[in-house]
Amino acid sequence: MRVLVTGASGFLGKAVVRAAAAAGHRVVALVRPTADVSNLGWPDNVEVIKGDLRQMGAWRDHLDVDLVIHLAAAPSGDIATQFAGTVQATENLLDSLPLRSLRRFIHISSFSVYDYSIRPKHGIIDEATALESQPQARDAYTITKMLQESLVIDRCDDTGLECVIIRPGAIYGPGKDWDCGTALSFKSFDLLFGPLGAFRLTYVDNCADAIVRAIDADVGKARVFNIVDDECPSLWKYHNACRRAGARAGFVIPVPWLLIAALGRMVRLVNRLAFRNRAKLPELIEYRRQQARWRPLRYSNALARNVLGWTPSVKLAEGVARTVVKKADSAG
Amino acid sequence: MSVGVADNRLKVAVVGCGGIANEHLPYLASSPLAHLVGVCDTSRATAMFAQARFGADGFFLDAQEMLQSTQPDVVHVLTPPQSHGALVLMCLKAGAHVICEKPMTASVSETAELLALAKTCGKWLIESRNLLFNDNVIKINGLVEDGTLGEIREVDLLLSLDLNAGPFGDLNLEGPGVQLPGGAVQDFLPHLAYLFLHFAGAATSAGRVCGILENLSGNGRVGFDHLDALVLSDNCRGRLRISSDLKPDMFRLIVRGSKGIAESDFYNPYLRVQLSEDSGKWAPFEQVRAGYRLARSGFGNLRDKVLQHGTYHGMPRMLDAIYKALASGGSSPIAASDIEATAALVDALVALRSTR
Repeated sequence: MRVLVTGASGFLGKAVVRAAAAAGHRVVALVRPTADVSNLGWPDNVEVIKGDLRQMGAWRDHLDVDLVIHLAAAPSGDIATQFAGTVQATENLLDSLPLRSLRRFIHISSFSVYDYSIRPKHGIIDEATALESQPQARDAYTITKMLQESLVIDRCDDTGLECVIIRPGAIYGPGKDWDCGTALSFKSFDLLFGPLGAFRLTYVDNCADAIVRAIDADVGKARVFNIVDDECPSLWKYHNACRRAGARAGFVIPVPWLLIAALGRMVRLVNRLAFRNRAKLPELIEYRRQQARWRPLRYSNALARNVLGWTPSVKLAEGVARTVVKKADSAG
Repeated sequence: MSVGVADNRLKVAVVGCGGIANEHLPYLASSPLAHLVGVCDTSRATAMFAQARFGADGFFLDAQEMLQSTQPDVVHVLTPPQSHGALVLMCLKAGAHVICEKPMTASVSETAELLALAKTCGKWLIESRNLLFNDNVIKINGLVEDGTLGEIREVDLLLSLDLNAGPFGDLNLEGPGVQLPGGAVQDFLPHLAYLFLHFAGAATSAGRVCGILENLSGNGRVGFDHLDALVLSDNCRGRLRISSDLKPDMFRLIVRGSKGIAESDFYNPYLRVQLSEDSGKWAPFEQVRAGYRLARSGFGNLRDKVLQHGTYHGMPRMLDAIYKALASGGSSPIAASDIEATAALVDALVALRSTR
């Protein structure tokens, strides 16, 4: 199948291109014009197209594909920057694609779209969990990823195109270790917030494998798939795994979730009473954002395993080892 | 929501819902003087998001259609500069007052034409100059007006901001970052020009201008990223500088008079006032006092960052002044002659561009 991968030079995009090509698909990899793809080692069946989805350009001449894997997004910057790179870019892509002739549109969303202020059934976040009802109370990333996802769903529904939404957890791998789970570091001390809560990790190659399986899996009526590895370690366990693998992790100072939540609630009360909720605070002390990141919850990947036939092959110890070795190589 | 008979708010429409619209729309959504009847953007997702976020009656993809459908009293033109001229023309002909983001046009002749048309139509055409309404500018105004600083002799405006780092210089995008003869510098230049002219007092013409406008980075998209100019008017002189290669980011305003100096910054605001009596043996005491005030400004800035009282905090104040004047039938707080003088000074500064 001829597959267009947007955001192909990103952290997850590179792995998706490799996995899709390895699965025998002809990949059209859309990368930004300034991206260096010379050292990525992509095979010959990968056609590299340079372009930026924020702007209608020559990339539109390369859309004779069967399926799209849409990863492009702007995960940082202010709301205008993220809106342009995530929402407008997606709108331009959807406006340019021959939607009616595509077999499927695989959209890469995020766990950030879920509502973490409500305790889900049995404390487990799965595909049925409610979506964030107040994205503006979270951050620009949540706002724009939610808008992006709903834009994709609406447009696919309008044109009768089958749409698969993949919501990965925290993707880790060489180049991205989430600071070993640390919320804050002071010299040789690492503060772990909610250290016993599960970290919704997925190794980058595992996640790419799930996405590529969604290309031709018979998904039935299922549309949304959460992607987390089988083993979601606690933040403390992940920190220890990083340390054992050789990461320069500091001495752990565990800060229980109840303490974090109490601080967040107190700050929220002060904000409400003294500032009429106008204060924009850092994630560390803003309750709704604390909940999204550190509230102790469990995560299910049952649907992806059952419907996509996906099994995360890289286990935690191996994933962490690969991540830390790569970081050490880069530092060296 | 429909406009009832008793609703005497001004019907307002917005064209362009990108970055700067986020500074206009919160005021329009909350002001008792304005009723947001429509928002328009070429991107459907952008227009829909703005409508939902700020409670506009409708969203549109075409400005002409919005004007016909909503018949607004006031239109805010917040699109990229190259589209301002045609949109302002369209709005004036549709019988609306226009508030346009800076730079309104690429040249003083176009600005003059539009201002003349507005006068013919009996409508207001206002180019935004929000920094004049910032807290410290208002405080310095007070020092000028009550004579504390004496006769104003020098006004320096020094902006350090990497124009290559933002969308203007983004090499992933094609074409020029901004379609203005002075490139990215010209997008910021009206701020410096109107602030200079404002504090230069009676000097409403540019006077003599010398200096250089150039591209130091070699980034083709940005056009020009460095301006260093001296402006000499009848009674006042000043240095206007935009640098992309200096850190940290700052936007300093220094007003020097015959009796004292006032200095502030738009990015990390503080106000330092040094008067003639603070010299000589009193100078150390003034420095201690200034240090104390600087520390207080630091705490104030921390509070402002948390409460999102940023560089654009003068925008709602400016819009409120305009809408109050419109509602009461008063005169515009931003005169057409000042807008034209600003455009003339910007023209003179853009003419410094090198061909390198």
